[in-house]
Amino acid sequence: MSRMLLIEDDVETVDEVAGYFRSRGYEVECVTNGPDGLTQASVGRADVLVVDRMLPGLDGLAILGTLRRNEIHTPALVLSALSEIDDRVRGLRAGGDDYLGKPFALSELAARIEALLRRPVSSAQTLLRVGPLELNLITHTARRGGRILELLPRELRLLEYMMRRVGQTVTRTMLFEDVWSYNFPPRSNLVDVHMGRLRRKLDWNCEEELISNVRGVGFVLKSPS
Amino acid sequence: MRRLRRAASTSVFRWTLSIAAGFTAMALLLFGFIYWQTAVHERQKIDRTVVLEAHALMQAPTAEVVSQLAAWLADDPHGVRYAGLFRLDGGHLSGNLQGFPKRLPIDGRAHRAVFKGIDRDHDGDDPEVVRAVAVPVDASRVLVIGYDIDELEDVQDIIRRALMLGLAPTLLLSLAGGTWLAWRAQSRVASVHGAIARIMQGHLSGRLPVQGTGDDLDRLSIAVNGMLDEIERLIEGVRGVSDSIAHDLRTPLTRVRNRLERSREEAMTRDDFQSAADRAIASVDQALAVVSSVLRISAIDHGRRREAFARLDLAEVLTEAVELYEPLAEEKGVTLRPDIHSGAIVIGDHDMLLEAVGNLLDNAIKFAPVHTAVKLSLTAEVYGLRIRIEDRGPGILPGERDRVLQRFYRSERSRSVPGSGLGLSLVASVMALHGFRLEIGDTAPGCIIDVHCTPAMPWILRNLQDGHPIRKIDPT
Repeated sequence: MSRMLLIEDDVETVDEVAGYFRSRGYEVECVTNGPDGLTQASVGRADVLVVDRMLPGLDGLAILGTLRRNEIHTPALVLSALSEIDDRVRGLRAGGDDYLGKPFALSELAARIEALLRRPVSSAQTLLRVGPLELNLITHTARRGGRILELLPRELRLLEYMMRRVGQTVTRTMLFEDVWSYNFPPRSNLVDVHMGRLRRKLDWNCEEELISNVRGVGFVLKSPS
Repeated sequence: MRRLRRAASTSVFRWTLSIAAGFTAMALLLFGFIYWQTAVHERQKIDRTVVLEAHALMQAPTAEVVSQLAAWLADDPHGVRYAGLFRLDGGHLSGNLQGFPKRLPIDGRAHRAVFKGIDRDHDGDDPEVVRAVAVPVDASRVLVIGYDIDELEDVQDIIRRALMLGLAPTLLLSLAGGTWLAWRAQSRVASVHGAIARIMQGHLSGRLPVQGTGDDLDRLSIAVNGMLDEIERLIEGVRGVSDSIAHDLRTPLTRVRNRLERSREEAMTRDDFQSAADRAIASVDQALAVVSSVLRISAIDHGRRREAFARLDLAEVLTEAVELYEPLAEEKGVTLRPDIHSGAIVIGDHDMLLEAVGNLLDNAIKFAPVHTAVKLSLTAEVYGLRIRIEDRGPGILPGERDRVLQRFYRSERSRSVPGSGLGLSLVASVMALHGFRLEIGDTAPGCIIDVHCTPAMPWILRNLQDGHPIRKIDPT
């Protein structure tokens, strides 16, 4: 069971987030002001922090700064009503591992928390394998079983992203931010179209579907059991 | 009368008054100087001459006084000299003066004297006016010498009359002119006041009156009218936008409501409920997307996002956009045909430009019929760079070309295609923020959208015009 420390002063957000994550099997501890948040986070029991930027007593970014200086590297997601790019950059620079602007969909938050909890262990790994899929990052070649996949550079990056997060749901916004490095909202079905293309190349015809849709949220690459 | 009184209190009138006073003072000074030059100075000169001449005649031996006197009178080309030798009782002895001038003191100093004498001036019976001096020659005779100053007095008269004739009309004219100017300014200010009052009452289409004279008040009015145009446009925009937002939100929200209601009554299984919830979420997402787009356009419009501006190659942005939208086009059965040359450096925000160009491509792909091409080109123009996006879709009617850039406007031809009516207005906002000009044209059938961009370095343009595209980018 994962433990989440939620440092947020808005009662409604706390109720919503805590309720949602508890129902998904998380142990959620809530703190509503900055200084207490810093104390709780310093104890280091939580697996993931969700920190609001504007907090009474101590700013969310200050909390993260103090934690990181004290060598506490619990993954943290910064929540903020300020969702301009600059704030995002500042949030990440202060020691946040991800940033989400308010208001947000709970499923988006869940996908990001999951990603933080299961961060790709080694990004230095150059040969990725998921079931029949194999991706060589040195030669930029991908194959499914014996079949070589003809992928464009962007599709290779998309596949790499998915392969490093096997079993995790990734949202469209996460893909747009991380694979394309764009910070504006993706238009309608743009990500779906790219993903669709990749999926067609992966699955060719009639093979078992590797990447599937998670309705209303995004996509997941499942490891065939 | 009230208006006149108000006119008299205007600054224009007060300026006119002070200018009139200044002119009067100047005229008085000038006339005073001329008058002093002629009247006083000239008279003093004559007085000195008369006294000197009298004393010179007195120097002659007593016996020769009469002949000297005659000689002096004869030496008078201008006919201004008068002289007479009289007995103490006034009897005439010699000279052209017939009688001793009345009340002329015999003191050897020059005085004004009037007498009836020879009518040299041919001015009828007018008495002659002279500056004269009377000196005793001996115990029984008195010598009188005089210079005619008729002309001098005439000149003085003329000056005085000129002063009167000049000054009075000047004063009258400046008073009248000032009053008229003040009255005119007053009535124009009054009409401006009236116009402002009407605008403040909510008649936003009202404008300040412009006379067409191009004077300062006109120019001020034109500037204020320009400001009012912009304010009216913005207010109309806000009005339209809030109506449209309300409408665009009500549609998906109503749909959500109906679906939830129906599923509560009809759904039998967990799957039924889930699919109803999924569709409700999709509708709510649509509503949220509208709100987010509006907020995004506002953020761009307020110029808050100019911090991220940097030097960038427009060609790279376009190439990325092509890469991003190529699968979408393929899925729709439309070919993307880029013609992009690199080296088009501009100052801008990479993400914003990509989003804007992406929106344009998205539109073009959306409206292009199957099996046609959407062309995207970047070329050098005389004054800048031009991005052109061309499709073979229904195009935009000339009358709608301005309106499609407004938020939520959806042209008749686009109603059948899904969209929020915000895509083009986001493009317009982004381009406006960059100082780029958006132009909508026609290929009959089809739409051409041109974006005229200012390059960061003009020499780039020269390079491109000279036919040295730095390198052609391979679309793949």
